[in-house]
Amino acid sequence: MSEVDIDLIIGGPQGGGIDSAAQIIIRSFSIAGYEAYGIREYHSNIKGRHSYFHVRIKDEEVRSLRYPVDILACLDSETPFVHMYDVTKNTIVLFDEDVKGTKLNQVLTLEPETKKHIEEKLQSEGYELTVSGSLEYMKKRGAILVPVSFRSLVNEALGPSKPPARYANTLGASISMALMGLDSEFTMSGIASVFGKKKEVLEDNEKIVKVAYEYISKNNGLKIKKLGPKTVRERYILTGNEAIAIGKVIGGLKLQTYYPITPAADESFFLEGHDYFDELSGGENETLRKSGVVIVQAEDEISAIAMAISGAMTGARTATGTSGPGFSLMAEAIGYAGINEVPVVITLYQRGGPSTGLPTRNSQADLSFAVNAGHGDFPKIVLSSGDVQEGIEDAVKAFNFAEMFQLPVIHILDKNFANSFYVVDGIDYDRMKIKRWKLPEKQEGEFERFKFTEDGISPMGFFGKNIMWLTGDEHNEIGHITEDPETRDAMMVKRMGKLEIAKKMIPLEDQAILFGDKDADVTIVSWGSNKGIILDVMDKLKQEGKKVNFLYIRMMVPFPTDFVTNILKNSKMIIDVENNYTGQLAMLIKQNCAININKYLLKYNGRHPTEDEVYDGIKKLIDGKSNRVVMTNGA
Amino acid sequence: MEHNYRTDLWVDWCPGCGDFGILSAIQQSLAEIDKNPENYVMVSGIGCSAKTPHYVNVSGIHTLHGRGIPFATGIKLANPNLTVILDGGDGDILSIGAGHFVAAGRRNVDMTIIIHNNGVYGLTKGQASPTMPRGLKTKGLQRPNIYDSLNPVAVALSVGYTFVARAFAFDIKNTKDILVKAIKHKGTAVVDLLQPCPTYNDINTKEWYEKRIYYLDKDPTWDPIVRKADEEEVEKKYLQGIQKSLEWEEKIPLGIFYQNEFVPSYEERINNNIPTYFTDPPATSKICDGNGLPLARMDKIFSDRLIRK
Repeated sequence: MSEVDIDLIIGGPQGGGIDSAAQIIIRSFSIAGYEAYGIREYHSNIKGRHSYFHVRIKDEEVRSLRYPVDILACLDSETPFVHMYDVTKNTIVLFDEDVKGTKLNQVLTLEPETKKHIEEKLQSEGYELTVSGSLEYMKKRGAILVPVSFRSLVNEALGPSKPPARYANTLGASISMALMGLDSEFTMSGIASVFGKKKEVLEDNEKIVKVAYEYISKNNGLKIKKLGPKTVRERYILTGNEAIAIGKVIGGLKLQTYYPITPAADESFFLEGHDYFDELSGGENETLRKSGVVIVQAEDEISAIAMAISGAMTGARTATGTSGPGFSLMAEAIGYAGINEVPVVITLYQRGGPSTGLPTRNSQADLSFAVNAGHGDFPKIVLSSGDVQEGIEDAVKAFNFAEMFQLPVIHILDKNFANSFYVVDGIDYDRMKIKRWKLPEKQEGEFERFKFTEDGISPMGFFGKNIMWLTGDEHNEIGHITEDPETRDAMMVKRMGKLEIAKKMIPLEDQAILFGDKDADVTIVSWGSNKGIILDVMDKLKQEGKKVNFLYIRMMVPFPTDFVTNILKNSKMIIDVENNYTGQLAMLIKQNCAININKYLLKYNGRHPTEDEVYDGIKKLIDGKSNRVVMTNGA
Repeated sequence: MEHNYRTDLWVDWCPGCGDFGILSAIQQSLAEIDKNPENYVMVSGIGCSAKTPHYVNVSGIHTLHGRGIPFATGIKLANPNLTVILDGGDGDILSIGAGHFVAAGRRNVDMTIIIHNNGVYGLTKGQASPTMPRGLKTKGLQRPNIYDSLNPVAVALSVGYTFVARAFAFDIKNTKDILVKAIKHKGTAVVDLLQPCPTYNDINTKEWYEKRIYYLDKDPTWDPIVRKADEEEVEKKYLQGIQKSLEWEEKIPLGIFYQNEFVPSYEERINNNIPTYFTDPPATSKICDGNGLPLARMDKIFSDRLIRK
């Protein structure tokens, strides 16, 4: 058990520096030696609408977030309204006392539906429709209110000329950390680590930290726990997007194409800023030299995938990154990559669909589509990652698999992964081996790119090395169009046969993992970013004496049918946990293993699932009170 | 031995198709330029024109309807040492692929786009393409066309193409000459290739064109080339090209409308950001050592992600 275990939400307007607040908090605690993990929730909006950062601090690995929170830091008048359900006994709510009188109707950024829920709740409980009313309601739930005048503290720190709103993020973060009992030395270091490059900004923010700590020690002295320093080591803060970008470059990415879309574009954005980097010379006397990766912002996603496919056939490791709407546009070209046996990687960050859906919110509802994307039968690999370490390594593996089996690889992730802040120890390059197979040799004369071979994989050819033909039509071994029925049959068998070869050659742990004892009363099945939450819940259930294991599925195509069947056929109870409406992984299991799953714990409101609701839901399903539980946490 | 630029496949276009002339002109221009045949890649979309790469004995990639331009772009950006030539139909490039056609003008990747312009969708039985004028009723149409046509040369000029020309499929010698210039041009070259469809376009026939075409370079004062990198010169040549592009119906000009090699290619723009781009292009850049250990080092990338006191 972790001695320290604190959940914090810091909320404010989009564009109000919530991202910096998140960085300050995670960096400060990491510098002090603690473990931290957090997710950013935001609207599809540039400035004004409500945005918040949910973070958990522990002295052991943080794998999930949890409600109710221990600290709610409200940087504006909207936050106390929308998060009034997120508090419980002893939750510390810090708020700006200058906005106490703000009426619910004056918060123009609130959506009318949300406003109506809040209004009904406050009225039925007999509270006035103001920030004060929501604070009183939270107090009734047991929260401890900590009023702060943002205006006077910023004034005290920096004088009257500086706008309080600009420093609300640092102020809110610093007061939160003071309340948590984190020594100000670490908060100062966290601030320096975020603003270190800009001297003036840093000085201003340091003054804010100082004033914040003084204010808390003078007026409150309230501390959850004194947090002393732990063993300190150098670590790195990465978002999921950045982790994938880094994994791709290590894996040999040389050409990445994209069209701007949330939440995928941050990956390519990050790469654009780091497209010229150091690499080893690879010779006897290892030296550093420069290398590059070309990032192309295409005119649309169809163009992005087309460029990636043809770039791959020219010899570069290529990839594209997108989300649901863009992926829908790519479907035809993915089939082209299938019939032409092109090693291309598509990183798919799921968000709430259908159509534009919930463009900045989480989802796992594109699994069925990813598995089936494109018309006709053709092989592809679909693999997913559950956390940052897997993500970085899978980015390399995606290229390896694409190249070894000559097919498109869809690396399916989600918004929760993309927008999470992870703290990592660095890169273990030895775990990131590049595997190459059947690279083209320069060859004179006619080259049979689609030759039938003993091992089932044709020789690879690249433009510029071999004279060869590709066509989206069915083709012969040279690559010219044919409608000959026998050749068609043989080509279909060759292409589809690669899935069996892949299944044999890809290590089982890259396909599926069983956590916990084989012998269990309850088996949870899930995938992707739910991994950490379920591992935490499993630990909790185990402590209560429940026999639970967790079948974590990493590869959806080809499907680890035998492994999954062997585990599930003897399961007494199977619970499917997914962030979609239809239980898409369960459908895939039924399709591949002919096993029915009858119990579902689902979430589709777009917000990150949390440990408490997964725990509660699983308990409900185990108790037999319901066969379908829908999770609803999150503002 | 000289490379034979023909493949031994049976060419399956209709007898009398303008595509035969374009194919010959392409084969002749490749032979004339005389590069290593491995360094050419022919790209196509979907339609009659899209078969062209199969008939030329250099690498060929027959892609998706409308997507020839991005496929061609990906090849060139992965390996800027290759010579990339795209054959597309007028429907392929100017309708389903029109967005790519506009974007390609803004990029100026060093490649050649040949538009097989016959006014109809041949393979699907003669529907009107974006270059067929309103009111025409070719024999494949149920009713006269109610769309207005677009002007490929004017569109190309307005979106920034740095080489814009027109040729006539049945004048193979002139088409070959124009293609050689287009292929040698630094930047994206567009050739509007008038290509009569003997099966579905019974109005804009070979004879119809032969009565109307004339050659711009027969006029000794015609100079479409931007000679110096100043705004006035560019504007003069650009407006002259636009004006010429408006001629149609009575007299149809052939030849180069505009050429400007002072605009940096997309590859040059990349090389400004990544100075190893030309010397160590994506397609041939080494990514691991003999043991599969990755070469890329992330230390610099990590520096601003480093958490420390």
